[in-house]
Amino acid sequence: MSYVELHARSAFSFLEGASVPEELIAAGLALEMPAMALLDRDGVYGAPRFHLSAKKNGIKAHIGAEISVQDVGSVPVLVKTRQGYQNLCRLISLMKLRVPKHAKPGECVVTSEELAAHAPGLVCLTGGFDGPIAKAINNAQRAVEWLIEVFGKKNVYAELQRHFDRDEEARNHLVIELARRNRLPLLATNGVCHAIPARREVSDVFTCIRNHVRLETAGRLLAQNSERYLKSSDTMRGLFADLPEAIANTAELSSRLKFTLEDLGYEFPKYPVPAGETMTSFLRKRTEEGARWRYTGLHGAPTYERALPQIERELKLIEKLKLEGYFLIVWDIVKFCREQGILVQGRGSAANSAVCYSLGITAVDPIGMELLFERFLSEERGEWPDIDLDLPSGEKREKAIQYVYTRYGKLGAAMTANVITYRGRSAAREVGKALDFDEETLGRLAGLVHTWEWKDPKDSSERQFRNAGLDLQNPRIRKFFELYQMVQDLPRHLGQHSGGMVICQGQLDSIVPLEPAAMPGRVVVQWDKEDCADLGLIKVDLLGLGMLAVVEESLNLIRDCYHDDVDLAHLPQNDRGVYEALQNADTIGMFQVESRAQMSCLPRLRPANFYDIVVQVAIIRPGPIVGNMVHPYLKRRQGREPVTYAHPLLEPVLSRTLGVPLFQEQLLKMAMLCANFSGGEAEELRRAFGFKRSEARMKAIELKLRQGLQDNGITGKTQDDIVLAITSFALYGFPESHAASFALIAYASAWLKCNYLAAFTAAILNNQPMGFYQPFTIIKDAQRHGLKILPIDITCSDWLCTLEEADDAETRRHGDTETRRRVDVGIRSGENTVSPRPRVSLSPRHAELALRLGLRYVRGLSRQSGHAIVRERAVRPFAGIDDLRNRVPELRKDELRKLAGVGALNFIQTHVANQVNRRDALWQVERVTRSPGELYRALLEQDGNSPLQQMTLTERVDADFRGTGLTIGKHPVAYHRGELKKLKALRAADIRMLRDGTFVRVAGWVIVRQRPGTAKGFMFLSLEDETGVSNIIVTPQLFDQYRLELVGHPFLLIEGALQNQDNVVSVKASHVQPLSLTIAAAPSHDFH
Amino acid sequence: MFACIHAPGLSPDLSLREFAYSFSPIIEETRRDTVAIDVDGCELLFGSAYELASEVAVRAKQSRAHGGLETAVNVAVAANPDAAIHAATRLQGITFVSTGEELTCLGEFPVDHLDYSLVNIEKKVAGEILETLKLWGIRTFADLASLPAAGVSERLGQEGLKLQQLAAGKTERQLRVKQPEPVFANSIELEHALSELEPLSFIFARLLHQLCAALDAYALATNELSIVMQLVDQTTHERKLSLPHPMRDHKVFLKLLLLDTEMHPPQTAVRAISMACEPVKPRVLQNGLFVPLAPAPDKLELTLARLAKLVGEENIGSPVLLDTHRPDAFSVKRFTLTELKRRKEKNAKCEMRDSNLTLGFRMFRPPLRAIVEANQGWPTQVSAWSKQRSVYGKVVNVAGPWRTTGDWWRDDRWARDEWDVTIESGSKQSLYRIYRELNSKNWFVEGNYD
Repeated sequence: MSYVELHARSAFSFLEGASVPEELIAAGLALEMPAMALLDRDGVYGAPRFHLSAKKNGIKAHIGAEISVQDVGSVPVLVKTRQGYQNLCRLISLMKLRVPKHAKPGECVVTSEELAAHAPGLVCLTGGFDGPIAKAINNAQRAVEWLIEVFGKKNVYAELQRHFDRDEEARNHLVIELARRNRLPLLATNGVCHAIPARREVSDVFTCIRNHVRLETAGRLLAQNSERYLKSSDTMRGLFADLPEAIANTAELSSRLKFTLEDLGYEFPKYPVPAGETMTSFLRKRTEEGARWRYTGLHGAPTYERALPQIERELKLIEKLKLEGYFLIVWDIVKFCREQGILVQGRGSAANSAVCYSLGITAVDPIGMELLFERFLSEERGEWPDIDLDLPSGEKREKAIQYVYTRYGKLGAAMTANVITYRGRSAAREVGKALDFDEETLGRLAGLVHTWEWKDPKDSSERQFRNAGLDLQNPRIRKFFELYQMVQDLPRHLGQHSGGMVICQGQLDSIVPLEPAAMPGRVVVQWDKEDCADLGLIKVDLLGLGMLAVVEESLNLIRDCYHDDVDLAHLPQNDRGVYEALQNADTIGMFQVESRAQMSCLPRLRPANFYDIVVQVAIIRPGPIVGNMVHPYLKRRQGREPVTYAHPLLEPVLSRTLGVPLFQEQLLKMAMLCANFSGGEAEELRRAFGFKRSEARMKAIELKLRQGLQDNGITGKTQDDIVLAITSFALYGFPESHAASFALIAYASAWLKCNYLAAFTAAILNNQPMGFYQPFTIIKDAQRHGLKILPIDITCSDWLCTLEEADDAETRRHGDTETRRRVDVGIRSGENTVSPRPRVSLSPRHAELALRLGLRYVRGLSRQSGHAIVRERAVRPFAGIDDLRNRVPELRKDELRKLAGVGALNFIQTHVANQVNRRDALWQVERVTRSPGELYRALLEQDGNSPLQQMTLTERVDADFRGTGLTIGKHPVAYHRGELKKLKALRAADIRMLRDGTFVRVAGWVIVRQRPGTAKGFMFLSLEDETGVSNIIVTPQLFDQYRLELVGHPFLLIEGALQNQDNVVSVKASHVQPLSLTIAAAPSHDFH
Repeated sequence: MFACIHAPGLSPDLSLREFAYSFSPIIEETRRDTVAIDVDGCELLFGSAYELASEVAVRAKQSRAHGGLETAVNVAVAANPDAAIHAATRLQGITFVSTGEELTCLGEFPVDHLDYSLVNIEKKVAGEILETLKLWGIRTFADLASLPAAGVSERLGQEGLKLQQLAAGKTERQLRVKQPEPVFANSIELEHALSELEPLSFIFARLLHQLCAALDAYALATNELSIVMQLVDQTTHERKLSLPHPMRDHKVFLKLLLLDTEMHPPQTAVRAISMACEPVKPRVLQNGLFVPLAPAPDKLELTLARLAKLVGEENIGSPVLLDTHRPDAFSVKRFTLTELKRRKEKNAKCEMRDSNLTLGFRMFRPPLRAIVEANQGWPTQVSAWSKQRSVYGKVVNVAGPWRTTGDWWRDDRWARDEWDVTIESGSKQSLYRIYRELNSKNWFVEGNYD
């Protein structure tokens, strides 16, 4: 007579349960439990993980939930049939969707009528301490009668729990009496909250977090003992020795619960096709049309004949797997975007397909590029296709998302969830609070959590704690440490995935419960992306990509200002300027190739064609870096190393990448060729390494991989190399199709920068924050390339940055040159900046257009006020600051001050035009913002002359940085060049000419700090001065020595040996000195 | 004319105000280290204002025994107190600010150092004005003073004007002279150290009498007395008497203090005693005609103190159950007279509880250590005894265990299993509660059910 636990909560009963579903299953397996039920509170959040883990371990997973019912309590229900599951999902969706996401406890409930309406297919238990009997202790008979009425006599079980608690036992006596009186079967459960007794501590900490109390003050809110763990059959039989039927009934009920998540009943929605068409025929027609357009040579390579067999093969597979609807729906979204003028580009496992290319979903031709087919649909893998649609981030993406909601209904589409787990600082702070640490200690404890990606192996917990002045011998600190580790990765709450959407035409709420997201108008499912994929729910990722927004805006600006019509799909191939810029690592602002690591690789790889960009995008990834692939590839490319293969079998797979695996597909193919993996097994390998769920799973796959290699006679170092390559890659490698899609955007961004610098720069500035660099660096880079940047000016700046005819820009409004001379030097366009060597080949059009900074760059100016200024100016120009104030009442006093401080009011027309400078404007602003009253109006000064001194040069730069975060005048470091010369510091442009090994000093403003996880503790700094950027390498030892200076100071002087290899120039620092420059600077962009 | 003394290195136990009183009775204590003096009329005593400033500087350097401050001070003399204060706080030594020439002296001071509190401007308002001045590039007092007054008034309002006048050293005001605060503290240094309570009681009585007289004079009372005794071994013995209600009866205080000293005697002989009390408003109470008389608070306090002396402070008061699962966890709360209403509520609750027909439980304090024979963890035979009682017999009926564990984050975590057992001893059966401490594995009889 085996016992089945039918009432267990996991950590997905947020802040109640203390074990993840996998832990519960593992404990069940150890206790040889044949089945188990998961009943989380008001949700089935953990059901997929519970189901999958149970399936793998041969345990039957029953699904259920504890439903909060108004005035009744928490009713535990178990799913008996698919109808029951659908009812449960609908019931939970009903409960969740009518209250906001952060509803107060007690607000998120169903009524007893709603429960009754959704009862078919469900089995009800009478519950524990918060169940319907416990809540109606004085009227328990009535409560039982109601349950019988709702669920039917056969579907109500009198639940008994024994946790060695007097009150509970008294309640059990009542339940037994009620069961006998109403002829209900008894059922023993343990109301499990954690897999093992030790986890009770986590459960208590969660209780504290939930109730906003400390352990010391939580009192009887905490558990009375640690008995709510998963108990063995023997233990439970011993506990219920007097009621053996209560144990026997668990197996009986388990056998009645036929439903599992295998039987989810999900079908992908059908795409509505015109009369007389089927989805199959409709898809075929659309694909054929597209193929002709793509492959007949008019708009691509003339490979129609070659493409047809693959298209046919793919279509057959799609039809076999009944996925026509999916491809049509994605096609439909793409069509909508095209119609709305929204740039869209598909990526993902299905992007290798010629069908997607023909349908216009992707822009990468898999036949032309000879992409590997392995990651497209596989019947064997039973895995659904995955297509990511990249959209311009912001409003346009939201428009596409809302289109999907509108098209498939509120209950037909939802975002996938993102389960927020306890990690790092959040875990430290919340556990620390529960243990009643003071704020200072909490800060120190949270500070212990690594902020940099790189984790120093010497940084043992003991050392970290000691360094923070915390004694691990102290029992409280020790307990904190234990708890901190225990709560890691436990779910905290549900968030929203950035773009994953699940679609199920009107019936999604019967597949998975839906919840409101924090963002208005959004609905999320209770499962995360991986769970949806595991259960076969097809998702479409609608991801926001900042660079697409930039490209889109650039195209608009080019059309409006240059009057050129650029078609993104038909950009000139092999533009020399683009490849020169790439080869010279002149890539600030370009998509995917602008990072410091990319820049140091570009002059070595020297991209000369599109496929080189694909490789370039893929090579600077943790996978190739950890797998030691970068240097072999570069050496082979430069001809310094022969092209060899780890095994002759690999030659066809790796020949394109010179024998070095660079793409995920190659890894899968390697596993298939060398270790006899099937396509499905290879995909399983990728996924095992793809998300960090199970060490054991990864070990098992690695073992299988080694065995396969062994069978093919691949042993020793070759085997190790192949295993390292595969395992390090699977997690962080890029699929070739992804790299190709990104390379397209990278090429487009590079082409735009090289040919339409003004438009591209304006678009980048308008879409901040994005990319690797701060706006200041982007502006300085553009200025070095000859772009004229005009200051923020209330008389002509829009909210966003715009383009103007450079020569007319100022004379148009301020006719005489005298006025122009009055413009503060700090904001004058880069005429004083050094322009060492613009490497991008400039089009003559650059000279004609200048970039006007937009009002959005005035810090503290609200969007509403900015737009109001533009609106009023369109009516007629402002006659003065008084006029501005009167006509734009939205402008607050501080906003006016800010506008004056950055010089935006300098050109506003006043009757004393010759005197206007920033201080004049500030003097005026204070007057207009203070009403003197009617009586004194006539007495007040009429003269606009200000008695204030004009700003000095330093003051202006300082005001620029404080007011806008950038300056278009001289670089802050340039003001100190004299002092720096005395310190023998060279400029970034100077060191490029020096030989490798020369000892140099460079000084500049730190614009980027990085300590990547793959760099073994090395830190990389980018120092900018008026001539460009110097790259600094800091060894771990030096980092320890100068930690404070390196992390905290904006300006640094670095000494060290110059490394100049293959035109990649960097300084290996041997000494660091902070510089006290008197000019403010924008903060650096630090990558933690 | 006004003089300002600024003593940046002033020792915390010295008072600049007291020092300044030796020059003039009209004193404003701007800050603890800054005072302004009205020197008009001091000519006869100290000569000219400059001579007075010199005298101040000389005396300040003298030792405290000679009325000095044992530190160098800055002294500034000006036609208005604010100019003197600014000059003294920024300039070292003696400064004489000529009337009408204030800016010559103050002009280069940074505008951030304007002491806006002198002209009663709030910090927030002053902050905003200073921020505007910073934007305007106004760095010094002279810069601010040079702005056109109308322009400043238009833009910064009256506050701006006040600040401008302050910067120009042109303000006009009287000193804010303050009455000294009454002190409710007293101390005495003994010629011979005392180690007996009786002679000490005379000293206590004297000090308390003085304290209560001071309280009486201001119609105040106290609910906390602090006593610090300096001992001959250079240590101190500190006591604090907290009273439930404000009082000022020195006799009651003396009795309480003597009882407390008996309970907590100093380790060695006493050589000095200081007493201080926190003055509060006296308790005003009017009893209702039909309210039963409660004991007088002072008498009750004395009785409690006497009882505390007999049984120990931790054993007197009202028991309060703690919010925890820890069995029998309670704390003893200081006994106070409760309001009648609350007592009524409490009675109502008791009545409700009584109506539930719960079994009465008689707790053994301390619990009886027991020897328990058990079969597979279930008790079968219990024997326990102490001087007062013994429990012995066969277990004929058992319920349990009831398990509680907790405070796992502390050193004194607990874990125990309780059992309700019927013990048969001879022909008599009795119901007991026994428990086993799971950490020590020891058994106890906790009590019996009535």
